[in-house]
Order: sequence, then C-alpha cells, then structure tokens
Amino acid sequence: MIEVQGVSKRYGGVEALRNVSLTVPNGKTLGLLGQNGAGKTTLLNIITGYLAPTAGRVLIDGYDPLLEPENAKRELGYLPEHPPLYDEMTVEEYLRFVSALKLVQGKAIPAHLREIIRKTGLTEMQERLLGHLSKGYRQRVGLAQALCGDPDVLVLDEPTVGLDPKQITEIRALIRRLSAGKTIIFSSHNLSEVRQLCDRVVILHRGEVKLDVPIGEVGQSGAVTLLCTVQGSEKRLVAAMSHLDGVRSVSALPGAQEDEVALSLSFDPAALPEKQVFTLCSAMSTPILRMARCDDDLEQVFLKAISE
Amino acid sequence: MEGGFKVTTVFKREFMAYFRTPIGYVFIGVFTALSGLLFYLNNLSTLSGELLIFLSQLTLLVMLLTPVLTMRLLCEERQRRTDQLLLTSPLSLWKIVLGKYLAAAAVMGIAIVLTNVCTAIIALYGTVYPGEWFVGYLGFALQSLAFLALDMFVTGFTKNQVPAAIAAFAANFLLWMLDLLADKVPAGFPADALNFISLYGRYEPFILGQLSFASVLYFITFIAVCLTASVRVMDARRFSQGGSA
Ligand SMILES: Nc1ncnc2c1ncn2[C@@H]1O[C@H](COP(=O)(O)OP(=O)(O)O)[C@@H](O)[C@H]1O
Ligand SMILES: [Mg+2]
Repeated sequence: MIEVQGVSKRYGGVEALRNVSLTVPNGKTLGLLGQNGAGKTTLLNIITGYLAPTAGRVLIDGYDPLLEPENAKRELGYLPEHPPLYDEMTVEEYLRFVSALKLVQGKAIPAHLREIIRKTGLTEMQERLLGHLSKGYRQRVGLAQALCGDPDVLVLDEPTVGLDPKQITEIRALIRRLSAGKTIIFSSHNLSEVRQLCDRVVILHRGEVKLDVPIGEVGQSGAVTLLCTVQGSEKRLVAAMSHLDGVRSVSALPGAQEDEVALSLSFDPAALPEKQVFTLCSAMSTPILRMARCDDDLEQVFLKAISE
Repeated sequence: MEGGFKVTTVFKREFMAYFRTPIGYVFIGVFTALSGLLFYLNNLSTLSGELLIFLSQLTLLVMLLTPVLTMRLLCEERQRRTDQLLLTSPLSLWKIVLGKYLAAAAVMGIAIVLTNVCTAIIALYGTVYPGEWFVGYLGFALQSLAFLALDMFVTGFTKNQVPAAIAAFAANFLLWMLDLLADKVPAGFPADALNFISLYGRYEPFILGQLSFASVLYFITFIAVCLTASVRVMDARRFSQGGSA
C-alpha cells in the first residue's frame, strides 16, 4: 500500500506540489494524470524516497522511506523518468547488479534474472552494452530493473513516453500482466493509457490533486461536453454562453491561438447544445472555427479538471 | 541478515567501471609514468638509494590525481541520474559511500603497489630495510587514502565533474599546506590547530622512518570524518534538491 499524506514540495521559489494526498491500496493500480510540469515526477521521486517532501509524509507498506529506508524500499521497484542505466555494463550484468542491490540471494539470482529477461523481452539483448541500446530497449531494461527483487510496489514514471506505437502496446501489455497482485502507481499524460491500465485515476494539475476517483466512476455525470474554438473575446463569449439553456459549466481551455478562444461547455443531455451555440455565435458575429462533441469521458473530466 | 555485506555489490560495480572506462587505465598509467620520472630524477640520476624521500615526493602526484578517481563516483552518478537507482534501493547511504570509496582506494592501491618496481631497483643496487619499507608505505598509503576521502567529500557537492575535480585539488593542496600557514598565524591555539590538521605534518614522521601511532590514528579518523560528511551531504540533498547544483 502507498500512502501519500499532505505532501508539499518547494524547489527554491517553485512550489511543485501543494498538499497532495492519495492512497493506492494493495494490489491496485493508480494512474497519475497530468500535463508536463504538473508535478508527477516530483511526486514519484518523493514516494520512492529519492527526494524529501517539504511538508507531509509518505508511507510504503507503513514505512516512511526517509525514516526507515531499508524496510520501505525493500518492496519497491522504481522506473524513473530517465532509466538509470550504467552505459558501460551489459544488460545481464546490470540486472544482476540491481538484483544484488535489491537483496536477492546470490543462489536465486540466475533463475530470477532469466524470468525477468524473458518477461521484458530482452533475451536477445542480454550481452549488449546498455550504452548501445535504442530508446525502446533502454525503457525495457528500465522496467526490468524495477522488477528485480520481485517488489510488491511498482512506481513507474511515464513508462511509455518516447516509444513508438508498437513498443507502447508491448509495454502496456506488460504492465497489465504485472498488475495482478502488485500495487502500482504510474504517471502519464496519455488518457487512453490511464483508462486501459488503472483502477483509479488521480489528476494532478500545477501541483494539486484536482480529481481522485475510481476509473469506473469517471463520466457518470451524464453531461454532454462540447469543445469549440471560436474567434472573439474570451470574456464576452464565456459570459454569453453561461446563459444558454441547460448549460452546467463553461470554461476556457489553455493553449488557444491568439484572438481565438477554446471553450469546454458542459450541458444537460437534452439541451441541443450545438444548435444553441451556433445561434448564439451567429448573433454575436463570432465565427465558430471548430466544434465537436467530446465522447471521451476521461478527456471531458481531464479538461474540466485542468481548466478550473 | 543478508543485507550486511552489500557494500561489496557497490564495490564490485565501481571497481569494474574504472576499467570499463579509460579512467582506471589513465590513472594508473599516468601515476606510474610520472612516478618513474620522479624516480629517475630523484634516485637514478643521483645514484641515491633513498626510498622514503622518493615516496614523499609522490605526494604531489597523489594530490593531483586523486580527484580524477573520485570525480566520477558521485558526480557522474548524478549527471546520468543513476543515483536514482542507488538512492531508492534498500542500501543505506553509508554502504553506498563506503563501497564507492573502497573501489577508488583499490585502484589507488594498484598504483601504489606498482611503485614497488622502484623499490626493487633500489634493493637491487643498495639496501631496503623491511622496517623502513613498511613505515614508508604505511604513511604514504594512509596519506593517499586521506586525500581520497577528502576528495570524495568535496566532489559530492556538485554534479559537474570538472569543477568538482578542481575544487578537490584545491582542498588537497590546502589541507596539505596548513602547517606552512601555521607559521604565519599567532602562536597558540590557531597555530596548534592548523598544525594538528595539516596532512603533511601528519605524514612527516613517516618520511623520517618513524612509525607514529598518533598519525595513524589521525589519518583513520580523518578518513572516517570525510566519509561521514559525504553521507551527510547526500542525505541533505534530498531536502534541498534544486536543478542547478
Ligand atoms: N530540480 C528542480 N528544481 C527546480 N524546479 C524543478 C525541479 N524539478 C522540477 N521542477 C519544477 O517543478 C514543477 C514540476 O515538475 P515535474 O515534477 O518534473 O513535473 P512533471 O513530471 O509532471 O512534468 C515544474 O514546474 C518544474 O519546472
Ligand atoms: Mg515528469
């Protein structure tokens, strides 16, 4: 079990995390969703004891990694953002080294390595130097490294970032296979990945937890979300749209082009949202550049969480 | 408990890494070549059979070259972010530091053992008394290990290897010279303190062929203090970590 209790972290003047709390029960998988710079890596570094929080604490199976490192880290496997590989070692040497670090008994190491190497599809690469591996294989070795010592708790920082589509599918399949019986927290900025792999999703935005729900409950609000990009003034458009029939919320999304406004509108299902928006924008002479329903529950939730 | 000897896991990896990269060979090669040159100037060209003076002259080489051994131990680890593996493993910081230190000490040890070629040449044409040999090498080895521990501490402050090596060299030089500085400060406590700490002052008896237990004890304490400080620096970084340092 992973417990994060009121964790804050400052880097000098930057407040990377603000009072973050979450729990991953035994055997469950939690997806940490957030944009770049949201604080995902910082949080995972704190969970694994690499960094100390400015306030709050973390417990892994009841042990604080700062106070009782040997107990807390015994059952911990960590794939950091950049796999921590020693370029001058071969895959096999490296995994042997990590297994010894993770206190695997000498006699048990050969069988243990064979198992991990097979699981992560590294059999053909065993003798290669880590410095000569491609990005995809480095990531696999990073994952293999996290599995050494067969830890109960896995912490994976954007495990599929920078991989090609085939590799992404393979790594996801591997994580899904691993997730039986293990407690996993992984970060991602990919919605479908989170949906496929996790039991629970936490949305982190600018260092704060914006949402923490079981994945099954995402999108049960029954609302319809409309995403539209309109040319015009943000303030006037948001104000006008807030008065449409059956509207539940209107928010401007970050990242729109100059003199364009990207809006996320949430309506009651019976409200005929496209018709209303079209009529309003015509009346205001603000051209609609794009308009689409967002059918993806998680995407709706995510957009809503980060635009508040 | 099975975790007790994991220092050797770190030691073996570090020692191997010295010889998978050029650093181990370069260190031993340069050390041996330059000590050969000093031997030629000091002994061969003057037909002197002085072993202890020759060893003491190698101090400069040790001061210059130990930063090369230590700079990669902590800096490179942070640059490549492999410290994330070590610091999130169940190994305690002091085991990590000790394993790394011992690996550097082993490479240093090889270089020191190789200088015995010079001892052999002296023995061939003159006499080397076993007691003299023992005292001379004990003092020289302890002093070298003290520099190594000091450099490990100093290089732990930054992840940039070149500034780390320069700072380490400066620290070596400073601690070695403190007794000269002691002559320039008021007599009494300040001078006594500087004399007490000076690494050269502690090594001097060995050059004269005296086995000084006080010095042996001092060197061992010095090494322990530096390694402990190195652990403290790593520990403190978890709290302070900012991108730049
Ligand atoms: N070592 C550091 N020093 C200063 N600021 C940092 C450091 N690491 C991260 N930050 C800042 O903290 C915030 C969160 O970063 P990070 O945890 O890496 O986010 P994510 O992994 O979600 O992209 C960012 O604003 C980033 O610039
Ligand atoms: Mg990150």
